[in-house]
Amino acid sequence: MNRIEERDLTRRAAGGSVEAFRQLVHAHSGLVYRLALRILGEEDAQDASQEVWVRVWRNIDGFKGDSAFSTWLYKITLNTCLNAREKVTRREMREQLDNIPFLPEPPGGEADPEAEALSKERREEMQAALGHVRKDHRAALVLRHMEGLSYAEIAEVLDVPDGTAKGWVSRGRAAMIVALAGEDHGRRDVEGNVG
Amino acid sequence: MSAVHGQERWEVLEIIGAYAAGELEGEEAREAEQLIFERPDYRRLAESYARMLVMLSTLGSEPVEAPEAAIDHAIRRAYVSAFMRQAETLIGELGRTYAHAFVYYLGLRPNTRESYGGGI
Repeated sequence: MNRIEERDLTRRAAGGSVEAFRQLVHAHSGLVYRLALRILGEEDAQDASQEVWVRVWRNIDGFKGDSAFSTWLYKITLNTCLNAREKVTRREMREQLDNIPFLPEPPGGEADPEAEALSKERREEMQAALGHVRKDHRAALVLRHMEGLSYAEIAEVLDVPDGTAKGWVSRGRAAMIVALAGEDHGRRDVEGNVG
Repeated sequence: MSAVHGQERWEVLEIIGAYAAGELEGEEAREAEQLIFERPDYRRLAESYARMLVMLSTLGSEPVEAPEAAIDHAIRRAYVSAFMRQAETLIGELGRTYAHAFVYYLGLRPNTRESYGGGI
């Protein structure tokens, strides 16, 4: 669907056309669900994506077409996900960092990293590790390294300055590697600790 | 372990993460390379970051389909909401028509003279 078709659909949906809205839902439901899945995990992703579409329908007349519809949708999805109640309060990791984390070599040495990434176990570990990253940092990390957005786009979607977006991605990345190392083999001591 | 050491380690973690993501340039990149060159554990960290970023990107590019239930729910809600909106409008219009009819019936409508702008 190109931007003109999308603009036409959003205008019709804003005028009350459920058929236009239905087409928008079908075209973008994957994006909304994927983002909710990465930020909230499988358990809450469906409820969140339903809530997103309710908000979209309610507020679509507020979409002026200044940005792409997908950018607007990212915004609503992230607001919904970030406002969802955090089930577990996560502690800040930065003062608990005892060792430099690392991921063990894949079995078989230089295995194909993509094949490794696609294994079911690895996917679950990644999802679990994401859950340990603070929500706003997680959102920025997902947008940068999974959705491939630029820092300017992340800043726009999260409604923060560029520098904040960059900082959140950086902290999210660091928290993710710590969590992933923990998921992999627990907190283990490595030779040559810092300090 | 003191909070200061934790903070320093965290900073190193962020620098090497930014380097692995290819986001450092010039002097910053050289500093990160120096760190990685000097310390085997930092080198392993950089390699781990590189693997993690590949995994994130691979996972991110996998197609994810929303469950049918989520799509159906969204569309159903929109239909109900559109129906309610129309019903509200219809009832509002009906009410106004009845009110006008009632006013007319009671003879309360003021006698208005139509004007076509002709002056006389």
